[in-house]
This record gives sequence, C-alpha cells and structure tokens, in this order.
Amino acid sequence: MERDLENANPTILSVSQLPSRSRKGTAVRHGPDAKCDSIVYPKHSWPYGSSSSSDEEDDDGEEPMDEQDIYDLISTISDPEHPHTLGQLSVVRLPDIHLSPSPAELTGPDSLVTVLVELTPTINHCSLATVIGLAVRCRLEQTLPPNYRVDVRMKVGSHAQDDQVNKQLGDKERVAAALENDTLQRMVDKMLETCV
Amino acid sequence: MAHFRQWALEYVLSDDENAQLAITQKAAREIESSRGSSTVVGNWAASVQQWMTAANANDDDQMDDGDEAGSGDIIARAKGTLEALDKNLLRSDQVLRLVGFFGAMFSYDHKAGITASAKALRWLYAMKGFKPDMGVKIMEDVCKIKEDFRLQTAATRLEVYELFLGLIQDPAVSSELKHKYGPSCGFVVDLLQVCQSERDPRNLMVWFKILALLLTDYEPSAEVTEEIFKVFSAYFPISLRSSATPIGITAEDLKEAVRSCFAAHQRAASHAFPFLIQKLDKGDAVTVAVKVDILKTIKACIEQYGNPHASIVPHIEKIWNSLKYEVRNGEVKETIDATLEVLRAIARKLDGTKTHKFDVSLLSGYVDLVSRDCRDDLANPTYTKQAGLLLMTVITANIRAYVLYSASFIDAIRQNLRQPKSPSHSRDLLLLLNSLLKPRMELFRDRKGGHPDDEDRLRTESHAHLDTLFHDVYLPIWTAKSNEPATEEKEILKQAIQGLALLVSQQVLQPDGAAVLLCPSSVSSEICSLLTVTLTKGLTLSSNDNHADSTALEDEAVLALRTIVMNYQEGYGELMSRAVAEIRKRDWASPSEYSLGALKDLLSRLTFIGCSEIPSSITSNTSSQKQSSPLQHFITLTARLLEIFPLSTQSTSPPPTGSTLGSSANAHIISSLHASVLWFREACEVKYGREALASHAGGDTNWLEEFQQLPEDWLLRIQGGNAPSDGVLATLKESDPEVYHQFLKVSLFIVRHLYRLAPSGSRTPWDERALVQLSRMAALVVRSLDEKLQVSCNLAAEAFTYFNSDRFPVQRSVRDLLTGLLTLGILQGLRPGALAGLYKPGAEAEKYMCDTTSFGHSALQESDVRAAIAAILANKYQGGPSTSDPESLVMKRVLDFWGNWIKEATTSSSVDTESFPYYNKIAVNVIAGAAARQEKHVLGLIPVLHQAAASQHPNGERVAESIGAIVKQNDLLTPDNHAVVKRFYKQWVYGHLTRPLLQEAQPAAKDTHTATRYRVAILSVVSNCPFTVYQDDQEPLIRLLVTALKNRAGLSEDVAWSQVVSALEILAEILTNEPDALKGYLREIIGGATEVYQECVQKKGTVAVVQPATRTLCRKLALQVLGAIPTRFEERHVLAYAPPTQRMLAVACGDPARKVREVARRARRAWAKVV
Repeated sequence: MERDLENANPTILSVSQLPSRSRKGTAVRHGPDAKCDSIVYPKHSWPYGSSSSSDEEDDDGEEPMDEQDIYDLISTISDPEHPHTLGQLSVVRLPDIHLSPSPAELTGPDSLVTVLVELTPTINHCSLATVIGLAVRCRLEQTLPPNYRVDVRMKVGSHAQDDQVNKQLGDKERVAAALENDTLQRMVDKMLETCV
Repeated sequence: MAHFRQWALEYVLSDDENAQLAITQKAAREIESSRGSSTVVGNWAASVQQWMTAANANDDDQMDDGDEAGSGDIIARAKGTLEALDKNLLRSDQVLRLVGFFGAMFSYDHKAGITASAKALRWLYAMKGFKPDMGVKIMEDVCKIKEDFRLQTAATRLEVYELFLGLIQDPAVSSELKHKYGPSCGFVVDLLQVCQSERDPRNLMVWFKILALLLTDYEPSAEVTEEIFKVFSAYFPISLRSSATPIGITAEDLKEAVRSCFAAHQRAASHAFPFLIQKLDKGDAVTVAVKVDILKTIKACIEQYGNPHASIVPHIEKIWNSLKYEVRNGEVKETIDATLEVLRAIARKLDGTKTHKFDVSLLSGYVDLVSRDCRDDLANPTYTKQAGLLLMTVITANIRAYVLYSASFIDAIRQNLRQPKSPSHSRDLLLLLNSLLKPRMELFRDRKGGHPDDEDRLRTESHAHLDTLFHDVYLPIWTAKSNEPATEEKEILKQAIQGLALLVSQQVLQPDGAAVLLCPSSVSSEICSLLTVTLTKGLTLSSNDNHADSTALEDEAVLALRTIVMNYQEGYGELMSRAVAEIRKRDWASPSEYSLGALKDLLSRLTFIGCSEIPSSITSNTSSQKQSSPLQHFITLTARLLEIFPLSTQSTSPPPTGSTLGSSANAHIISSLHASVLWFREACEVKYGREALASHAGGDTNWLEEFQQLPEDWLLRIQGGNAPSDGVLATLKESDPEVYHQFLKVSLFIVRHLYRLAPSGSRTPWDERALVQLSRMAALVVRSLDEKLQVSCNLAAEAFTYFNSDRFPVQRSVRDLLTGLLTLGILQGLRPGALAGLYKPGAEAEKYMCDTTSFGHSALQESDVRAAIAAILANKYQGGPSTSDPESLVMKRVLDFWGNWIKEATTSSSVDTESFPYYNKIAVNVIAGAAARQEKHVLGLIPVLHQAAASQHPNGERVAESIGAIVKQNDLLTPDNHAVVKRFYKQWVYGHLTRPLLQEAQPAAKDTHTATRYRVAILSVVSNCPFTVYQDDQEPLIRLLVTALKNRAGLSEDVAWSQVVSALEILAEILTNEPDALKGYLREIIGGATEVYQECVQKKGTVAVVQPATRTLCRKLALQVLGAIPTRFEERHVLAYAPPTQRMLAVACGDPARKVREVARRARRAWAKVV
C-alpha cells in the first residue's frame, strides 16, 4: 500500500515487557550462572525409572481458558502498517479482555462464554481500526471453540468514530461481506501470518 | 619463400582448425630446421606481410570482409607459428624484426589481427633473444592504435592490457623506459590516452594494476602523477551493474582495485585526500555504501603512504574536520565504525612502526587537535557518547598516545561526572571511562610485540589518575545509587559494576618489569565487599522487603566478581567468608520458600564466580603473597560448603516430588558441590582439551590410600594454608594440564568425604534430592577418571562399601534407597574394565542382579534404583566373543534366574500382583542391559517372554506392557557412562523379540487373547524404536495400530490406554517418515483418533480410572496425528473427512488442558485449508 504512515512513531513495547504467563508464576532465573541448573536443579527430582516418564507433567494440568490465553492468541497479530505486533503497540491490552462468565464461574465445558476485546488504536483517527478489528475477530473465530461468542470493539474514547467502527465490527453480515473482498482478505491473512 | 606463400594461402583458405594448426606447425618446423636463418624468417614474415599489405592497399570503401578476415587469419597464423617455435631459437635481430612486424599491425587502420598481434608480442617478449629496448618499442608501437583501441572487443583489449602489464612489471623494460623518458614519462601519457575510457570489469582490474604500478615504480613527475590520478579517480566510486552472466569479478574486487590505486604511493597524496574529502562532504547525496567506500579508501591511503610528514600530516586537519561530523552527528553504525577506523589509523601511522618511532610531536599534534574539538562536547549530554568515542579511539590507538593523554581524558570525564546533566549523561560518561579501561588491558597485554619504547613508557607511566578512580568516581556513585535504584539508575550502576571489574583487572609494570595489579589489596577487597552485598542481599532481606523484579544488577555483579577474583584471588576467599557468615545467620531447620530460593541463587552464583574459569596467575602488588594455585577457588568453595554441611540436622518432611522448592537447604549445598565440579570440569576441557587426561602418565596410583592419610578437613586446611601435603597443589601452574588431573583428585576426595558422611550417623540431613545429587556427582567424577585409576583405586569395590572399608570391615547388607543411590553413583561412571572383580561366581554382580529381597517403605523408588544398578551390571562387563567366558556365564545364570522367575510369576500365585511390577522392572532392566550389548544368552529368554506375555495370569499383561523397556532410551546406558551399546541392538531385539509375534497378533488371528497380548507387547517395543527398525513391517503393524485405537477389550484400563499412547506415537512417526503407507487406512485412523480424543475428554465412564496425565497425553497425541494428516496427503484423500473433523477440532480448541488447546489450534488450522 503506497501511502504515508498515519502514525509514524508509535510507542513500542519490547517483547519482554508484554504480559505473559511464565512471569506470573515462579520466575525462572536466566543469569550467567544458570547453565548447570538443568542438571543440578532438575525439574524432576527423581531421574530414574518410571515416576519421571512424562516431561511435561507441569503443563498437563487442566486450566480453563482465561484472559491471558485470549491475549496470547491476538497479541501476535501484525499491525497492518508497522512491523510490530498488536501487543507491542498496545492496541491489544490484557486488562481490556473480558470473559463472561469468568473462567472460575464456568459451569460446564459447553456453557456459553462471551469474549469482549476492546482495542485501543495508536491514534484516535486511525483508518485501519476496522481492519485491525476484523483481523482480531477472524483470529478469535478461527481459534476459539464454538461455545465462545466474540465481541470486538474500540475502547470508549480511543477512536474518533468508535461508534461506527463498533457497528461495523458487530454486524455479522458486514463482517462476512468484508471477508468476501479479496484485498481485505489478503490483508487480514497477512496480519495473521505472524500468529502461531 | 614459395613454401611460406603457399602455406599462407592454404591457411587463409582453410576452415578446419586442425589443418590450420598443422600449417602453423609446419612453418615453425621449417624455421627451426633452418636454425633460425634470417632469410627463412624474412621469407616467412614476407609471406604474412603480403596479405597485410594487400589488405591495407585497398581503400576503405573497397575493402571487404573477406580481405579483413584474411589478414586477421594470417596474423593468427603467424602467432600460431611463433607459439610453436622454440623460445631459444630466434636471435635478437630476428626478434626485433618480428617486433617491428607485429608492432606495425597496431598502426594499420583495421580491427582484425590486433588480438593475435598482441598475443604474438607477448610471445616474443618471452623469447630469449628479447632485449629491453624492444619493450620500449612495443610500448610505442602499440600506443599508436590510439582511438581505435576503444573499438576493439573486450577480449582483444584484455590481451593488450596483459601485454602492457607484463612489460611494465618487467624490471629490465621498466628501467629502459625510465632511462629513455625520465620523470616526464612520455609513454605514460600516450598509454593513458589509449586506455582512458575502459569500462569492462575484467580489463579494469588489469588496468588499475598498471596504473598503480606506474605510480609506485616509475616516479612520474607531478604533472604526469596528476594525469594518472585523474584517470583512476574518474572511476571513483566504482560500482558494478548486475549481469545475467557472472564474470567472476565482484563490485568489491573493483573497489579494492581502485583503492589500491589511491593508496599506491604518497605521490598521489596531494590529490587523493582533497578528492576523497570533497566526495565525502557532499553530504546527503552520498549513500552509506559510498561513504564507507570513501572512508575505507582514506584508511588505505593512510596506512600505505610512506613519509607521513609530507604525505599525511598536511591533510590531517582537513580529514579530521570532515570526519568528525560523521561520528558526532552520524546515525549509521557502518559509517561511524569506518570513520573511527580512519582516525585510529592516523594515530597508529603517526606513532611509527615496530622498529621506528616518529617524533612525538606528530602524534601529539593530532591528539591535541581531536581533544580540542571534543573536550567541550563531553559536557553536552547529546554529544557525550560521540565525543568520547572519538577521543577514545584516538587515545587507545597505541601505547604512546594512551600514556600521554589518558590522564587528561579521565580527568575530563571525572569533572563532568561531578555535575552530570542527567542520569543518561552519567551512564554515558561511565561507559566512556570503562571503554578507556578495557583497551588499556589489551595494550598492556600486547606490549611485548611492539617497539621497546612502549614497554619503557608503561614502566614509567604515572598511574595516579587510575589509582584515584575508585574513591573519586565509582565509590561515590555506588553509595549514592545502590539503595533502591530507579530503572535509569540501574543502568548507571551496571556501568559502575563493569568499571569496578575493569579497574581490579588493570595491571601496571613495576620498575623491574614485573606486572602487578594496579589496585592495592585494600581497594580490591573493598570492591569485592561492595559487590558481595549485592549478592547476599536476597538472603539478608525478607521476602516482603525484596521488591527487585529483575536480577540484571545481580547478574552484572556476578560477571564482575568472576573477573575480579580471577585477578585478585584473595577476593574469592573473602567473598566466601562473607557469604558463609550470611548463610549461617539464618535458621535452616524450617526455612521459607523464599529463603531457600535465595540460598539457591546465592550458592549457584558463588559456584559460577569461582569455578567457571581457571584463575590466571598475576601477583597483586603486595609482595608477600604466596603463590596462588589454579585450584584455589575450587578448593575454597568446596571446603567452605563442606564446612557448613549439613545446614540443618533436623529431619525435614519429605519433599513433594517434582518441585524444586521442595528440596532442603542441605540438598542445595550438595547441588552446588555438583555444579562446582561441572563448571570446573568444563573450564578444564576448554583450556586443556579432552585429551589432557588421556596423555597423563602414572595413572596407577591409589588416591584412596593417599586419602586415608589425610585428615577429614584436608580441603579446609589447604584453603587456610596449613595443609600437611598440598605439595603438588601449591606448585601447579595455570597452563599445566596437570591441573585437570589434580582437580579430579580433589573432586574424588569430596565424593569420598560425602559418601562417608552419608551412611554414618543420623540420616536426617540427607533427603532424597541431596542423595540423588550426590550420586550423580559421584558418577560425574568417576566417569572422568581413566580405567587405570578406576582399577588402582578399586572403585568397583567401593561401590558397595561406600568408601567406608576402613571403618566397616564387613560390608553392609542393608539395601535401601540410600545405599542404592550411593552404589549407583559409582557404578554409573565405571568403565567395563574396572568392574571385572564383581563378576566372579557368587560375587556382588550376580548377587545384586538376582536380588529379590523385599523393599523398604519407598518401594517404587527403591525398585527404580535397583533396576538401574541391575541394568548397569548386566551391561558393563568385559566379556569375550564366546558365550562361555566367566562373565558371560554369570549373565547366563542371571538371565535364567529371571526367566524362571517370570515363568513362575505368570503361572502361579507365588508373586502377588502388587509387588510384581517392581521385580518385573528389575528383570526387564537386566535384559535391557544385556540386550544393549547383544548378549547372546538373552535369546534364550525370548520364548519365556513370549509365553509370559500371552499367559492368562494377570501378571502376563504387565509383562507384555513393560517389554518395551528393553529398548527404551536409558540415560545410564550411554557411551558417556562407558556402557557397551551395540549400534544395531534395537534391530536385533526387534527381529528376535517382536517380529515373530506379528502374525499371531493380527486381529483376525484365532486366539484373540494371545493376539491382544502380543499386540500390547509389539506396540510397547515398536514405540521405543526408531522408524527404520520397523520400516519393513509397516503393513501388518498398521493393522495392529488401527485395532489398538478402537479395540480395548480384554485389557485392563491402564494397559489399554498405554497401548493407545504407543499406537498414536507410532502413527505420528509413520506419518512423518512414510505417510503413503497409511493411505488406505485414513478413514480408520481419523475415526480412531477422533474417538480416542472424545473418550479421553470425558471424565465419566471407564476412562475415569485412568491417570489424568495419560488421558491428556492421549488427547494431545490424537490431535497431533489428526493435525499431521492434511499436511501429508493430497486434498482428494482427506476431503471426505474434513467437515466432521473440522467440527471436532473446533470443539477441541476448548480443551481443558492448555497444551492440548495449542495442538488443537494447529490441527484446526491445518484442516481449515482443506476445502
């Protein structure tokens, strides 16, 4: 796309500043002295035989989907004009992701959950806000199970025309129609390329 | 004459190359046979000439192509004849005539024949009869071609260039040219006129070489120099258009060639520098690549030009004025680096060479110029870094500049540091200070390679400005900021920490030439203590007070301390004393998780600081120091750790397995001892190489006997300096590979010491984790020893007496977890040759392997350890090739024993179902150990295993399920641990144990019970084998896999599901390696995997009794298999299954386990592409 950048100098967070799950629990130190840690402080204290057969026991616990999961899904989407992710540009923020009912209140695996994601464009007249919203919506619809309802909006006051953008993003027909457009579809695909 | 004419005619008319060649050779023979008679040569030339004149006589408009081609051909013929002639044949006068003849070609007004003439002239130039004055004539003749030269083809021009280059390079011709033309170099002017508009890259490479030679060798006058300069500078900056047909010359080659013209001789200096600077000053019009090219060219000029007084000094000011902005205001790293290189090159050039130093005024004039411009910038935060960089580059270029100017530079930094404008200003200033200290070490190190003056200067250098750095600069910053620093201040502190390390590492030369440390011990010690506080802070603060969220400062301090104690070696002792005092202050009987974490961090850091490098031997400036040993830090650390062990003697509650924080303080100490051995061993391997141990002589000493003479606190005494026999240790030199050997000796002493502590007295300080660490540390030390040492120390016996033979004459019969782990540690590291004594009939090995005594309270772990030991013993013996040597017979008895036991256990009720798995584990491990070395007696056991697996007894199912452990990856049976592992043993086991069962295991077999059991056994083995092992049996195997996914009848739930796990693993493996084999079974596999997933996600029904971890694993593997399918097959094969699978995967994206959700998403994405 041949045009000037709308916001040439956005604030960019480094990857280490982004919220992530590993830092919530006990931190694993990576100092210069940590090289032998895997041997002298092994993850599984019993190295022989059966009781340590699975390496990934820690991760196998059952944890329902929470806001951080949603954040991890969408924060890696690329921005359409900067070579950074939405997480780095703070377009997507962890506190602006809401699950209702919250994971703790879930009654069963099939109960209906609504995911509300509020986006904050880097500038309040960003013309790409709709595209970003569309990409977030696509990503969530492609990765969440069918019992999740997705609602993507602009955060109140963050965009000059947030009402209109919200209306576009909330209208299923318009979203579907938008994705019929080859140019838009390609753009969204490009943005989602960085997601794993 | 007639011959030659006839031949010339034949030649011109002939089209056949071979025939032409024959004619040229005929002519050559003719000339040779006449012994080079002038008449014959004259005739020959005339025969050629006739064609030339004929062609030339025609007017241009009348001349047709045929004539031109004819004359071109005939020159080629003449050239061919020349090439066929003997080089010694022609006399000078004949050569001269021929030179005249071929030279005349260049005056004719046509294009053909030039290539051949140039070649012929080059050939004549190689003749013996060639005289230098002929070279001059050639030059003159060839230059007559004038503008026509441009019209020649590139290849022709290349010939001419090569001719020129050859002549100009020739010393005789060159002196003749110089003699004839003098400094006015008339021929050069002609040459330049002829060649000046060359554009072909290949030709340019030769042309530039000629130009550089003209400048260096021919002493051209100023005017001619300018002309030459104009010619090559017109090409600057040179570039190369990318071409479809690469010619083997890159743009970089061309740049180098032009650069060498610029740098050829100082004669060009007065043109080169202004020209280059003017190009550089064009500002934004110049791209980065061009800028770098200019700067590199300037650098090359500075480095190559002689007589810097005249050639460089007059231009320095201009160069500096232009270049300083590249750094001061520059943003591109490449140009900044290249600029600094130029500035450094100037400083080096002005200093002189290794053998001859220039007057100091040259250098000082230059440095003054730089510092005049930069000094003020130091006070301006925007330019501090750049100004410092400029100054630093110039000052650190050589020792003379450093000694002269570093003091005033440091002074300027110091003044600015007193009133910093902002935190980042302080940081930049400190960075500069550090980057001034770092090169000092390099200059100091390289002093021997330079001019003798340099060393003298270092010896007489005043280092007052360095001495005061700590108290004037670093300490005040540290004191002001080290308490609860803000983020910006942390950056300052980081720089300060690095600076402190650099400061302690500085050395100075004493008047007698000895190198000592700059800082007095008191300062070094104070620095150590400052940094130590950073490390022990975690332990001294409580968890509520410690808010540090990043450990960057501590990590920096750790690296700094490591550098410091490598130089100031007493520092490590002080550091350890302080740390130990801090550790002792706490109560370790029931520590909090926070304290344990802090202890772990502290110990881990202390280990890294002391043991990750071998200390160098620099003396500090207090002369009374005793010689330091390379092992000093290692001994200090281990001695102090052994001293405080155990930290608590009270019994701790058994830690929950799988959690790091669950281990006790005592376990952390053992872990650190283990880590110290690991680190130091690695440092030794880096320094002395792995072979250092192999080359060591005298490996038959018995260290254990030596140890018996030593007191228990031997290490502590060495560390305190009052050991009875540390003779070898005291005289060790850092560079001596003996260090490695002595390190292993000390390590073995530590292992022995801990082993003696472990089984004696109360066991409470030893929790499971500590014992495991001790066992692994023992394995590490033992396996590093060579076989001779292992034998001479009789370590095999110690495996069962735990280094206590002098205290407990009768070996202990108790077999519990503790003794098991101790035994395992030693056996794991022993080499087969060292184990020989254990395999006598009725000796330890047989007893241990056939041990079915009951277990203590932790049967699971005890059986693991016993099984591990049994696997080692069944593997590491030195049997010969026959099956009747003593060790092999022992193994036969052992295998028979287990064969009978398995038979018994699967037919009668002699072994209850509960304890069966424990003993079965030992049995399988014995077989695994023997199978890894392809012990033939294992084959006798196979029918027993087959029968047992198929037996109706409930234990039979267990045997079938566990049989895969025979080929399972076992960390103890690796070459590192000196195990005997045959390369193809898995194929061997598969072929004998599994393949015979394939037919009977098929779903259609008559005996469904046996089929089911065999299927379990086969999948158990196959899932532990690499794909290539079972590649040939895929077809029957896949039928079993499909059955295993759907059919779990006749099996207990956990066996059934572990069978599913194996099946899915094998499927994933086949999908990766040979997916086509699965093409016919896609429906069953997709259906099966889907079903497995859906069943495992439920928490109700029969599956609920299965371990949750197994259920999660099943779900994950099922999704992995599903996800791999669309990527491996063409769309038409999978399209039919897409809708239901996509629906199922969408639901799976909401799986309760996070890991599984990730796999589900990947699978969903893969299937989304199937439309």
